[in-house]
Order: sequence, then C-alpha cells, then structure tokens
Amino acid sequence: MNTSLLIWIILFPLLGGLLNGGFYLYHIKIQKIPELLFAIIGTVFPLLAFVFTLILFLDMNEHGSVYSQHLFMWLDIDKLTIPMQLLGDNLSIFMSLFVTFVGTLIHLYAVAYMKDDEGFGKFFAYFNLFLASMLLLVLADNPIILFIGWEGVGVCSYLLISFYYKTKENVVAGNKAFLVNRVGDLGFLLGVITLFFALNETGISFSSMQENITLASQPLLILSGVLLFIGAMGKSAQIPLYTWLPDAMLGPTPISALIHAATMVTAGVYMVARFHFLYDAIPGVGLFIAYVGAFSALFAAIIATRQTDIKKILAYSTMSQLGYMFIAVGLGLYSSGLFHVFTHAFFKAMLFMGAGGLILAIHHEQDIFELGKQRKKLPIISVTFLIGVIAISGIPPFAGFFSKDAILTGAFSGGHYLIWLIGLFTAFLTAFYMFRLYFILFVAPNEQSKMETHKTPWSIGIPLFVLAIGAVFAGFINLPEVLGGNHNVDTWLAQLNSTPLDLSHAAEYVLIILSIAVAASGIYVAYKRYANYDLSKRETEEGLIYNKFYVDEVYNTIFVKSAQRLSTFFSDVVDNKIIDASLMGLSKGFVAFGRGLTFLQNANVRYYAFYMLIGMSAISYYVYMKLQGV
Amino acid sequence: MSADILSFIIFLPAIVAFILMITTKDANTVRNIAFVTTIIIFGLVLKLYLSFDPEAGIQFVTNNVWIEQYGINYYIGVDGFSLTILMLIALLISPAYLLLWEGRTKGYWINMLLVQTGITGALLSLDMVLFYFFWETMLLPIFLIMGMFGTGNKIFSTIKVTVYTIAGSLLMLIAIMYLGTAYYAEFGTWSFAIDSFTQISTLSYDAKLWLFLAFATAFAIKIPLFPFHTWITDTYTNAPTGAVFILSAIMAKLGVYAIVRFLIPIFPEIYSDFSIFFVCIGIFGLIYFGIAALMQNDIKRMFAYASASHLSFITAGVFSLNAYGMSGALYLIIAHAIATGGLFLLIGILHRETGFKTISNLGGIAKQAPIFTVIFAIFLFSNVGLPGTSGFTSELLIIFGLYEFHPVLGYISGLTVLIAASFMLWMFQRAILQDRETDNGKDLPMRDLKIKEILGLIPWVVLIFVMGLYPDYFIDKFEPSVLHYISDILPSGATK
Repeated sequence: MNTSLLIWIILFPLLGGLLNGGFYLYHIKIQKIPELLFAIIGTVFPLLAFVFTLILFLDMNEHGSVYSQHLFMWLDIDKLTIPMQLLGDNLSIFMSLFVTFVGTLIHLYAVAYMKDDEGFGKFFAYFNLFLASMLLLVLADNPIILFIGWEGVGVCSYLLISFYYKTKENVVAGNKAFLVNRVGDLGFLLGVITLFFALNETGISFSSMQENITLASQPLLILSGVLLFIGAMGKSAQIPLYTWLPDAMLGPTPISALIHAATMVTAGVYMVARFHFLYDAIPGVGLFIAYVGAFSALFAAIIATRQTDIKKILAYSTMSQLGYMFIAVGLGLYSSGLFHVFTHAFFKAMLFMGAGGLILAIHHEQDIFELGKQRKKLPIISVTFLIGVIAISGIPPFAGFFSKDAILTGAFSGGHYLIWLIGLFTAFLTAFYMFRLYFILFVAPNEQSKMETHKTPWSIGIPLFVLAIGAVFAGFINLPEVLGGNHNVDTWLAQLNSTPLDLSHAAEYVLIILSIAVAASGIYVAYKRYANYDLSKRETEEGLIYNKFYVDEVYNTIFVKSAQRLSTFFSDVVDNKIIDASLMGLSKGFVAFGRGLTFLQNANVRYYAFYMLIGMSAISYYVYMKLQGV
Repeated sequence: MSADILSFIIFLPAIVAFILMITTKDANTVRNIAFVTTIIIFGLVLKLYLSFDPEAGIQFVTNNVWIEQYGINYYIGVDGFSLTILMLIALLISPAYLLLWEGRTKGYWINMLLVQTGITGALLSLDMVLFYFFWETMLLPIFLIMGMFGTGNKIFSTIKVTVYTIAGSLLMLIAIMYLGTAYYAEFGTWSFAIDSFTQISTLSYDAKLWLFLAFATAFAIKIPLFPFHTWITDTYTNAPTGAVFILSAIMAKLGVYAIVRFLIPIFPEIYSDFSIFFVCIGIFGLIYFGIAALMQNDIKRMFAYASASHLSFITAGVFSLNAYGMSGALYLIIAHAIATGGLFLLIGILHRETGFKTISNLGGIAKQAPIFTVIFAIFLFSNVGLPGTSGFTSELLIIFGLYEFHPVLGYISGLTVLIAASFMLWMFQRAILQDRETDNGKDLPMRDLKIKEILGLIPWVVLIFVMGLYPDYFIDKFEPSVLHYISDILPSGATK
C-alpha cells in the first residue's frame, strides 16, 4: 500500500510548482493575486512531501521494507530498457527525509525573505520545481531517470540564480552555473553509457548494474567511475569544476540556503554513494576522489580566509565541507559521508538563513566589514549564527563535530595519513575563517553609540530555531562506538557496506582530542586577530588568496576567449574566405568561360540547328549503346 | 478510401491554392481558407497515425501509371519513418499559420499551400522520378517567398540557394537516370520505383559508390553538411520567417529522410562501408557549426548555424548503423523541428515588433513579454537537450548509438550537451533577459504573444514535454521500421 506514496513525494512539489507558475502568469497578465496564496501553495506542498516521506520512513523503520514503484515504460528500444521507476530504499528515504524537512523550512523562511518582491509567485514556482527535481534525483531507480532530476535541479538553479534577470551579472552567473555543470553532466552521461555497454547491455537499473558488475572489465569500470565522478565534481563544486558556486551567490539568499548549501550540491556525494558497488570495485578511483575532496576542502578553506562577502565566505565553506564528504565516500566511508551531508544541511542552511536575515536587516549589504559597522540588535539571528559557526568548526557536542570527526577518524584508520592531515589542517582553517566572520559581524567594536533593534519575522525565526536544534543535537543520532555510540545512521545505511573502523579506543580518543584542540586553536587565532578588529580598516584586497588564485581569469582566457576566437575564425575565415569564396570564384569562372563562348550564340538559327543535331546524335548514340548492353 | 487518403493529403493544398488564386483577391480570405485546409489535413493525418499498424511495413499504397513508356508511376505509400514525419509536418503547419497570421499577402499564403504539397509529395513518393518531381517543385514556392518578401540582399540570397540546390539536384537526376537505364538493361522493362532499384545486381562497386555520392551530395546540400553549407547563413538571414521556418523545420529534415528512404535500401553495402566517413562528417559539423554559431550577432544567422549543427548530429545518428542511433536521429528530427521551428517563428515576431534581429540591439524583452519569454525558453531548453524535453531523449539515443558504433566517436559526440547550451544561453541572456546595453537601456516596442499565437504554440509546448517524459509511445510507432532497416536491409545486420 505504501509503495504508491513514493510518487507523491515528487508530485506534490511538482504540482505546487505548476500551480504557482500558472497563477503567477495569471497574476502578471490578468489580475493580481495576493502573496498569501503563493505562499500557502509554496509551503504546503513541500510539507506534504515531507509528511509522506516521514510515513514511509516510519513504515520502513518498523517493517524493514524497500519500496519500488514502476510508473510506466519511459523508453524501450533494442536492449535499452529504461522504466520510469522509483526506488525507496534506506539510502533514498534517508536523503529525501532531510531534503523535504530542510526544504520545507527554507520555503517557510522564503515567505518572509521574498516578501513584497514582484517575482514572489515565480520564486515559489521555481523553488517547488527545484524540490520536485531534487526528489526525482534522489528516488530514481536508474541513472537515466536520476539524470532527469539531476539536470532538473541544474536548470532550476540557473533560473533562480538569474532570478533578477534584468541585471547582466546575475544572468551571467546563472549561465556559468549551468555551463560548468554541463561539463560535469557530460561526464555523468558518458559514464552511464560506458557502464551500460561495459556490462554488455544487461540492464540500466542500479540493482541490475550491481548484480552484473563482475561482467565488466577493470579498465572500463575505471573509465566509467572517473566519468561519473566528473559529474559529481560539477554538481558538488569540487576542483576543477567549482568556479560556478561562489558566483551563484548572486541569487536570493533562500536559494543559497536550499540549493547551494543543503541539497543540490550534495547530489554528487549522493550519486557516488548510489554507485557504491562500482566504486567498491575500483578502489584506486575512490582514492582519487578522496584526494580531490581533500584538496578542494583545503583550497576552498584557504580562499575563504580572505573573502569579504558574507555569502561568498559561506559558499567557499560549503565547497570545503563537500570536500570532506568526498573524502568519506572516496574511502568507502559512505555512511559517514552521508551523515556529514545530513548535519551540514542543518548548520549550513541555518548559517545562510542567518546571513540572509542580516542582509535584509542592513539594507542588502553583503560586505562583512560594512555589516559589522552598521550592526543592529538581532538576538535570534546572532545566537543561531553562533551555533552554526560552532557546529561547522567542529566543537563537541555540536553536530558538525561528530560527522566531521567520523570522516577524519575513518581516513586515519584506513592509513590515509596525508588525507587525514589535510583534513585536520582544513578543520583549523575552518574554525579560523568562520570565527573571523563571526567576530567581524557581531563582536568587533564599532563606532555606533546605540544599536538599533531589528525585529526578526516569525517565518524567519521558526526555521532558524528548528535548524538550531538540529545543529546542536543532530550529531547524537550517530554517535561513534567509542563515545558509547548508537550508530543509528551507520546501521540505517548498512546497505552501502561502508568500510568499518579499525582502530583502538585509545587511538580514537587521541584523535578526538587532537581535532578539538585544532578547532580550538583556530578559534583562538581568529579571536586574537578579529575580536577587537578596527572595522574602519579594510583588509588588503591584493594577493593570490583574495583574488581566488586567479582561477576564473585563467579559465576565461583558456576556454571562453579561445572558443570565441575559434568561432570568429570559423565563420569569418573558413566559411567566408575559404569555402564560400572558392565557390563564388567557381561561379565567376563559369561566367568568364561563358563569355568566352558567346561567339557560339550568334542568333543564327542554322548554328542552333547544328548544335541540336550534335546533341541529338550524341543522345541517340548513348541510348543505342546502352540498349545494346555495351 | 484508405488508399486515396495519401493523395488527398498531398494534393488538397495545391488544389485549394489554385482555386484561391483564381477566385479571390483578398489576402485574409485566402489565409483563412488555407488555414482551414491545413486543419483538415491535420485531422486526416491524425486519423492515419492512429490507424497505422507499426508492424506492417509500407501501407496505404497507391500505384498508378503516370508515364507508361518509361515505367514511371505515381507510386506512394507510408511506413513508420515517413508517417512520423508526415505527422510532424501536419502538426507544424497549422500552428505556424497562426504565428504568421498578420500582414501577409495573398501570394505568401498561396505559396505556403503549394510548398506543403511539394513536401508531402516528396515524403510519400516511392518512385524516384515522382520524388524528383516533388523535390524540385517544393523549392519553387520557397524561392518565390524569399525573392518577394525577403530582407537584405534577398535576390542574391535567392539565386545563391537556387544554384546550390539545383546543382545538387542535377547530380541526383543523373544518378536516377543511370539507375533507370541499368534496371532496363538488366530486366528489359523500365521502372523507377525504389523497390525495383534495390533489385539491380549488375552495378560494379565503383559505380555504386559514384551513384551513392551523387545522391549524397544532393542530400548533403539540403541538410546541409560540411562543406556544402555556405548557402544556409545568407538564406536564413535574409529569408522571411515563413520560408526559414519551412526550410529549417521541414525541408532540411527531408534531406536526412531521403538518405534513409533511398540510400540505405538501394546501396546498403556502400552505406555501411562508408558510414564511418559520414559519422565523422556529422560529428565534425556538430562541433564546427556549433562553435561558429557562438559569435554570431544576427539571431537568424546564429540559428542557421545552430540548425546545421543539429542536423549534422542527426546525420551522424542515421549513419550509426544501429537502432539507438537511427531512432534517436528520427526522434531528433521531430524534436528539432518543433523547437527550432518554434524559435524561428518567435524570432519572426520579435523582429517584426522591435525592428531588430541583432543581439547587440536587443534586450529587455523578458519583462515586457513574459509569456513570449517562457515559451521561448521552453523551445530553447528543448534545443539544448534538457532532460524532460524531447531534445534530451533524442540526443541520449544518438550518443548511445554512436558509442555503440565507436566508443571514441560516442565520447566526442557527447560534446553536443555543451555546444548548443553555450551559445543559446548567451544569446538568451543578451537578447531577451538583460536590459538593453544600447540606447541607454531604453526599452524596445515589444508586445507579448496574442491569444491566437499562444494557442498555436501550446500544442508544441505540450508535445515537447510529452515526448520528453513519455517517449516510448512515439518510438513504438517507428521502431519496427528502424529495426527492419537494420536487420533486413543492411548486410549481416551490419553492426556486430
């Protein structure tokens, strides 16, 4: 009975999106509709999706069942059979549970954030469509259907980044996000195709691929594993396909919270976990993924230490945390990786929402020094922001500590000491740059004599409050054994066969203490430098780090400029000067040749009769010869 | 009745056109009657589509003597391949009328009717002389529309495209004559039917190759393939909207269709031996035209290149020798016709209202014409191959097919997901979304779509999503025909 609920998890937000889209067109073309209607549609449908997911989750928890719903045959040609089928197993229900939960909260938050915006209805239409695509991605039973959701979230991300489309920069950022993601999508698509043919066209569902994985040769598995990971690099903003994420911050803040922090960007991690059977067969590629993750984590953390735009700092921190998740899934620690996805969704969504609250309260200012200077009394936001900062910095007992520590301990236990070291150092940087942000925003002395109080609307306050609870306590649902743990998440995700820990308790204690010490020293350094920072002095805006290592500029020269130059070369030189000119030359040649023959055409009928005679004779001769069979 | 339905579909527009030519002078009357005619044809084709049996091969055959002494027959019929395209044409033409509705002359509408007869006739011909007849006549109305109603250097463009296509057609005519005489030499009777030509056994391999190339050149010009494409930019830029619409959405596809209809059955071994060559040309064209499109400032010119890029990709799919590639190619023919046809019509409206079709002069359209923009975006994303739209299904299948043909070529062809997206989105940003950068950002005079135009476009929008979300229904209609080509006609099932 419950199986048929699966599709409704996707249909509810889809319906919400379509209704809001239709009403919005009605709103702008025919008659105004009050915002309340859009808000109700836009929040109730995600809530329903969450309720249905929760029902399935509870049912699954009780009966241990797995749901599979076949909707219709999407495509069936030769040996390629792609059903439109949904799969609700432990992994996908786990993922959709927090996607719908956090999603609903952010929808509620957006009601206040987008208030009085002329595109209010449009925003909720896109937002609901995004949620539907994300859930299709999560619940898909085969990679092609997953890809429909995968690109669906991509296009919603594009539409939402360029939400204020009249300004060029926004649309350019949207284009960049779409195109860089498309590079990844190309990898994903080719990876799926390679895998399909490597398995002798035996089937394309995840379960049949898992069964037949032994049919494929090792090189083809490696190839498809790398190609699929390129897809993850794009979606989850890892080196080298990360450049779109900081620019994506031009969209309204709820988007950054939902799409570019909590859900869409974790799709790459989810996808790798989905293909765990493939990556288990090719540990070398897994190690490669872990290193890409480690370097992305480090690289983003370094850049984040010098940025001045509040949302960009959070964007780089997202990229950095995603790096941790890839360390985990790359090393086979799937459940730890997904646990970090889970806790990260809480505290990062909360941080973005807090940032959005600040930006709204202080006249759409995003520069952290300005925000610090024009500080207002925002009790709810400042407290929840602090909770988020502590959580991401890895201080126990906040959520981020447990999930990050599980990854670092796992890396150490597997003997990947370099990765562990990079992760540890990144943790130091994380604590540093997050507290730098906190101190500048809320602590450093400013010249205001009296702070104005700014009331936070309830639909911003409630989501912040709920997420704060998550950011504090979510860690406890998956305590490690050494802390008397319950391993709830690890047990729930047992299907992924994550690599178990192989470490003495003593060693684990040492690692835990070490990572707390590292986080604390990061906070200390930030405190020393920024707790009493003079906000009127800006930090220098020169140097490699502030300029993000000039990667954007390099990409622009290598890819964009050269494609443009090639384009001009093709159309102006090859087409016009070579191909067309030679054809026109040919026709001019004909004209000249014709002029040369004008003496034949002398208006003398006897000449013409003579030509006809020649022609007729030739034709007769030819036909005669042909009929003779010569 | 069932046998005559095809003839009725072919000739009704021409008959109506001739009657209208004599009886009335009023452009609006002509347009209204022409529109009703296309609706009637749509109904007939729909009936045909629903009653068609996918497994039964060529159906609704009519075979009457036309020129007896040379065995030239009025021989028509329909199979899964041609039926799909027939349905497509019927589905495209009536809505297009709604978008072209205002301000056209009598001659314009009469020519639109005539061109429909030419296209449908060429599509359904099973006799090569009959095919040649329609193939040539379908061009005349287009030349007239271009020459009379075009913009810019229209006379030069018209002559250029005429000379180009006629040069190709002449090669084809020679090849048809050669095959006819070869058939006569072998069997002692004249026949120009395709199924007769497939029986010819006396030709040497070299002769077949040359004949194949003669046909292929004619079709390559029409499609167009590299390097026979230089007519397309001038033509698309200067031709009026209706002509560009017909050329890009329908006629270009007939070039691909003709390859499947004639070249595969008549020259199966040449087709499979030289497929690698055409696949490479196709993939090269995909990339070359796609890159060339990037920096175009005239939107119609950009879409000329975009069209060429997609059609090259379709051609690569046709030569992939397997069910994935060929089905994908046929599917992309439909998907591309709808999306690109729709875009050309919308650009026509944009040009008419604002007076511009150059990207640098446009901008700020989205806020003035939201419905226009939404529909424009849907066509655009289908063209880009976004999953959930018809474009994706086709591109996916072609990449599968090309991978099976050769993995490396499959990988290269995957670039299609990047190429169209890059220039399309950039154009969309500059021409439609962002505020104008010239004239101090002063808005252009642009209206939103009218109800009539929206009604015309809605079927296409619906179809884009239905074909993207439930492709199996459509593919079932033509899959047997595709499999028939692959397993029965190609040597040794050709592929593995």
